[in-house]
Amino acid sequence: MSEERRIRVLYTVGAAAMSAFCLLPVAYMVLVAASSRPDVLSAGAEVRLTAGHFLEVLGTGSLHFPEYVVNSIVVSGLSAILAVALGAPAAYAVTRLELPGRMSFLFLVLAVSMFPPVSLVSYLFRMMSALGWINTYAALVLPYTAWVLPLSLWILASHFSRIPRDLDRAALLDGCGRLAALRKVMVPVAAPGILSTAILAFIFAFNEFLFALILTTGRNARTIPVGIALFEGLHGEIPWGMIMAAATLAVVPVILLVLAFQRGIVTGLTRGAVKE
Amino acid sequence: MMLTFHDIGKTFLSERGEVPAVQGVDLAVREGELFVLLGPSGCGKSTVLSLAAGLLKPSSGEIRFDGELVAAPRKKVFVSPRERNVAMVFQSYALYPHLDVFGNIAFPLRVAKVKEESITAEVARAASMLGIGDLLRARPGELSGGQRQRVAIARAIVRKPRLFLLDEPLSNLDAALRAATRAELKRLQRELAVTTLYVTHDQTEAMTLGDRVALMRNGRVLQVGTPRELYETPRTPFAGSFIGPAPMNLLDAVVFEEKGRLYLRMGGEKIALSPGKADEVRRIATGRVLLGLRPEHVRISGDPGPPALRGIVVSAENLGRERLVSVETAGGILTVLTDAEAPNAGDVVGLVIPIETASVFHPEDGE
Repeated sequence: MSEERRIRVLYTVGAAAMSAFCLLPVAYMVLVAASSRPDVLSAGAEVRLTAGHFLEVLGTGSLHFPEYVVNSIVVSGLSAILAVALGAPAAYAVTRLELPGRMSFLFLVLAVSMFPPVSLVSYLFRMMSALGWINTYAALVLPYTAWVLPLSLWILASHFSRIPRDLDRAALLDGCGRLAALRKVMVPVAAPGILSTAILAFIFAFNEFLFALILTTGRNARTIPVGIALFEGLHGEIPWGMIMAAATLAVVPVILLVLAFQRGIVTGLTRGAVKE
Repeated sequence: MMLTFHDIGKTFLSERGEVPAVQGVDLAVREGELFVLLGPSGCGKSTVLSLAAGLLKPSSGEIRFDGELVAAPRKKVFVSPRERNVAMVFQSYALYPHLDVFGNIAFPLRVAKVKEESITAEVARAASMLGIGDLLRARPGELSGGQRQRVAIARAIVRKPRLFLLDEPLSNLDAALRAATRAELKRLQRELAVTTLYVTHDQTEAMTLGDRVALMRNGRVLQVGTPRELYETPRTPFAGSFIGPAPMNLLDAVVFEEKGRLYLRMGGEKIALSPGKADEVRRIATGRVLLGLRPEHVRISGDPGPPALRGIVVSAENLGRERLVSVETAGGILTVLTDAEAPNAGDVVGLVIPIETASVFHPEDGE
């Protein structure tokens, strides 16, 4: 076997093993969702494939699943848009203005993002209760924005620092103020990076569980992860089939989003990983 | 427009503390003039350009446009680049990658909220001046280096700036294109009659383009003059070696007086100075001096009459039209640029010293 071939084989085997490891729970989820009984893998179980669980999740009014999907998309979408809208000017300032202590600022922001959510959640609950915002979109959008903003700022700063400085110098000389330079030059040039940052922020917010659990009490603002966790069967048993079906459906928006902007996300992830 | 720098200093803060980029810079660029800032990299010429543009604030001194202050830290005056109406061509061209050529050239006009009909006309005018009228729909990424350069220039001239700034605009072009673009820039600048500040490290560019040239080094302006003045009367050994087709020969020599006449001794030779040259030398220094001889002024002669030196040819390089010959003399190695047939290495030759065009420097001006 030639060197090249051996590398190819090892590469393929490694990639397959890695993918299998990551995708096995997903496969199990889909399998259980589409089977008539949750003990599909036990020996001797009589199992049929069925779309029943999916129809049940979507069709049972008391589960409110479609509402949770809408809530999740609205809350995550607003959080992502806000994070990018606030993060872009901040990233511009950090990368382009002569600010004293820029790096300390960036690290402070990073440190803030490392607070475990659990340490904040009780205070957040009291604050949102006092504001009367429990079970509203605002109760989730504000903490989510604050939570994904440091990440967005870091990724955006890394994107912005890759744009040649001469470009915004040219904009300033061509008559732009700082804000116009940001809007007319930096944002359009960094558009792919901004888009992928927004998608990452969306996914982070979309998956968040703890805040959503504490800060929502009903279908008005409850998001998919909490909704699924609180599914209950008619007679108190755990409805595995429906949970798995709902989880499968919840993955769909994220998959669609990632597929649509695949290229941008990959560069966005790698760029965010290394601060250049 | 007249641009003046008065005692301008700029220091940058770095981890090593304050680093001065330019110090005590005085410049007066005249109306419609093409003024070149020439110097090796790191000499502060680009800093001067950014200060004129308003991209940097000076740490001290005053900058004026037509007598009106645009930057004076002591008086807390600073006019932002947006309000200065200056245009700049960057070394990297800095074209907006998300806009096509039309959008790039139109950008400053759109920012200034010019009416769309006149934008179309102005862009077409600027594009045709630079011969890129057929590229208006192309993206910068699809253009060659020379084409990008033209777009950058068109964008700079489209709104008739008060001051035109060029930062090494030719350094990213290949040699043939560089010469052609150089000539075209000169023509364009004449046509537009815009006061222009041009930064380069290439002395040929400075000599061919500049109405006047400021030679910079280590953040200071060493000498300002026409290209001819800089070539003929360099004030420092550095100016002598930086300007000219080949670096100037710098030789130790001694000036001394004998019976009312001034003589120069170098190696074992004694060369008499003409009365005119003697007056000039007397003003600079007597005793030990540094003698600057341009390689293109030294002649090789088989029969050395005075004033002359004798030496052995060390090497001869063929540069095509000319030959660069190194000759070892008693005073040190001398290079000679000649278009005559080169002697062979090892030949003993005589050198005719062009004492009338030679430069004499104070020995402490050398490094």
